[in-house]
Amino acid sequence: MANWVTGEHYGGNTLKKTTAPISLVGPQLGDVRLQEAQLLSQQKQIGNELDQRVAQRTIELGEAQEELGQKQIERSLVEEKLHQEERELKRSEARNAAILDSALDCIVTIDHEGCITEFNPAAEHTFGYPRDEVLGKHLADVIIPPSLREKHRQGFARYLATGEARVLGKRIEMTAVRADGSEFPVELAITRIPLEGPPSFTGYLRDITERKRAEQELRRSEAFLAEAQHLSRIGSFSWRPGTDEITWSEQLYRIFQIDRDAPVTFELIGTRIHPEDLSIFQEHIERSRRDRSDVQLGFRLQMPGGAVKYVHVAAHIRGDHGQLEYIGAVQDVTERRASEEALSSARSELSHVARVMSLGVLTASIAHEVNQPLSGIVTNASTCLRMLAADPPNVDGARETARRTIRDGNRASEVISRLRSLYGKKDPTIESVDLNEATQEVIALALSELQKNRVILRPELAGDLPLVAGDRVQLQQVILNLLRNASDAMSTVDDRPRDLLIRTELDDNDRARLSVSDVGIGFEPQAAGKLFEAFYTTKSEGMGIGLSVSHSIIERHHGRLWATPNSGPGVTFSFSIPCRPEGLTSDGTRASRMPSVSDADEMPVLRRN
Amino acid sequence: MDDPPREAHSCVMELRQGRRAAERPLVSVVDDDESVRESLPDLLGEFGFAARAFSSAEEFLASDCVDQTRCLILDVAMPGMSGPELQRELKLRRREIPIVFITAQREETVRRQVLEQGAVECLFKPFSDTALLRAINSVFHPK
Repeated sequence: MANWVTGEHYGGNTLKKTTAPISLVGPQLGDVRLQEAQLLSQQKQIGNELDQRVAQRTIELGEAQEELGQKQIERSLVEEKLHQEERELKRSEARNAAILDSALDCIVTIDHEGCITEFNPAAEHTFGYPRDEVLGKHLADVIIPPSLREKHRQGFARYLATGEARVLGKRIEMTAVRADGSEFPVELAITRIPLEGPPSFTGYLRDITERKRAEQELRRSEAFLAEAQHLSRIGSFSWRPGTDEITWSEQLYRIFQIDRDAPVTFELIGTRIHPEDLSIFQEHIERSRRDRSDVQLGFRLQMPGGAVKYVHVAAHIRGDHGQLEYIGAVQDVTERRASEEALSSARSELSHVARVMSLGVLTASIAHEVNQPLSGIVTNASTCLRMLAADPPNVDGARETARRTIRDGNRASEVISRLRSLYGKKDPTIESVDLNEATQEVIALALSELQKNRVILRPELAGDLPLVAGDRVQLQQVILNLLRNASDAMSTVDDRPRDLLIRTELDDNDRARLSVSDVGIGFEPQAAGKLFEAFYTTKSEGMGIGLSVSHSIIERHHGRLWATPNSGPGVTFSFSIPCRPEGLTSDGTRASRMPSVSDADEMPVLRRN
Repeated sequence: MDDPPREAHSCVMELRQGRRAAERPLVSVVDDDESVRESLPDLLGEFGFAARAFSSAEEFLASDCVDQTRCLILDVAMPGMSGPELQRELKLRRREIPIVFITAQREETVRRQVLEQGAVECLFKPFSDTALLRAINSVFHPK
């Protein structure tokens, strides 16, 4: 190679040496020389060509080599990509397999002929077939009940023929069948797998037996609730004070007699509330809005026909500040109220009977006490007559029995006196009485009873009231009696506060007046004259004695007791008695001012605690 | 009071005329009321009976008259043992004396009870002599 490389530079010499023997051998030296030159030139040309071709080839080789390297890189890149895709595919397949294996839903794929190509573990579990057993089988024969198979085949054929799909892409419910032949409800969604070639499908199936049962139970529980609400006359509601969004149960519409389609608003509710209770209702709504407190409220409804219903509302507030909501119940208590009223009337009749009986017991004890001596009188007198009628008459015996008759008569009289002292009262004691103070004491005594009857007592006692002369205890009995009468008169009042006003004032300068005003049932004008008669009463449990006794007590105080109807509801009872006259000593002598105890005192007077 | 009816009167006459005092049947009176204890024995004497009066059931039971008593006139309400209690006690002792109850308490329930327990009659005080005689006669002259 070293010759070839240096040949261009030394070639002439080398060729000259090598070509010399040739010219020595040729016959004509000039020809030989020419030939030699020509050869040399040819040789040179060939050498040049060779050199050129070698160089060319060398370049070509180099280029090819380079190209080859490039291709090698490209190839490895492709290979790398292929590997990557393969990995991806594997991953994807693994993912798909994992999904198939772990899916809670049954996943079944079928080919265009309806034959099963995939059947995941959930499907195996649900339908009771091992995968291997069903692969390649017709789907309809495996999971569709015999009664529906034909329909399924028709639908499948129609889709293949026309592309018209009734079930694709939708959630449908149908009945499926297990390996053991038992049928159960499934929810089904079928999608077409988006690949070229003949269509294939994936079906997702879910056993909805539990859901169906839950739905059925929910429906039944809803029906129970509706029925319970209907029976118990309780409707429920929710109310969001923030938006005034109100939801009613069916029964509540029924209670309010409002059409179910009407949106519930307070305006609409207001049209059903009794006009007298509307303000109370609105006040409670406003308070609930403001205070977010629980609601307990009773009020009346007035139906379009005029019928009145009593309802009771109870509601709790729930939720946080963003979305507060009242959840509550409305109970129609009309019937309960009616029966309560009937019960209370029965009770009052019963208590009337009890009262009459206690009067009966009193009468019996009086009768017993009196009948004993009367019996002696009758027996003695009879014996006396018989002795006188005897032949001969037993005059001594008759005289003795007559004497005993008189004695028994006196005994009967003593019995009456004993009863008087037992059931009657002591003589009144006269003293200076501060009517305000006496009234305060009575109020203290009666307050708990008044509060129990939900009476709101308002005392208005005059500051400059002079002392009165009288029997403090008797006057207090009158005041207590008036308070109780007023309270009793308001016991049925529910549509307004049971206000009771007790007032003292100076009357005509020398008299003190005390009046008690109620807002109760009042009295008929024709009854006004009878009010103070003994045994006249408008109260079923009263004996009609209280006012009569009060009247006689006030009369004995040289006073006056009267009643006037109020301009509004109710009655005012007033008494007016003289103030303590000058000269009356504070230890209360001048008993002569007071008349002796009248028969009215003998009545069992006022109840005292 | 009314005159005794004719047959009652004749009965008394028969008793008074036909028997000596010692042979008269004994009628006992038990009543806590003194006027009854004083007046009734005299009337019973007029009827022709021997009579004894006791102020309580206990006193009667303690006496020696229980066995001799042919008829008992008994108050209902008494301190201590009551009339109906004495009625029961006598029944327990198998001393079933015919009893005419008398009471100042006009109570039908008590009357019904004692009659159910076998009393001859229950009279409300004050009662007439004829009513008493009719009751006693039903003991001695049952129809």
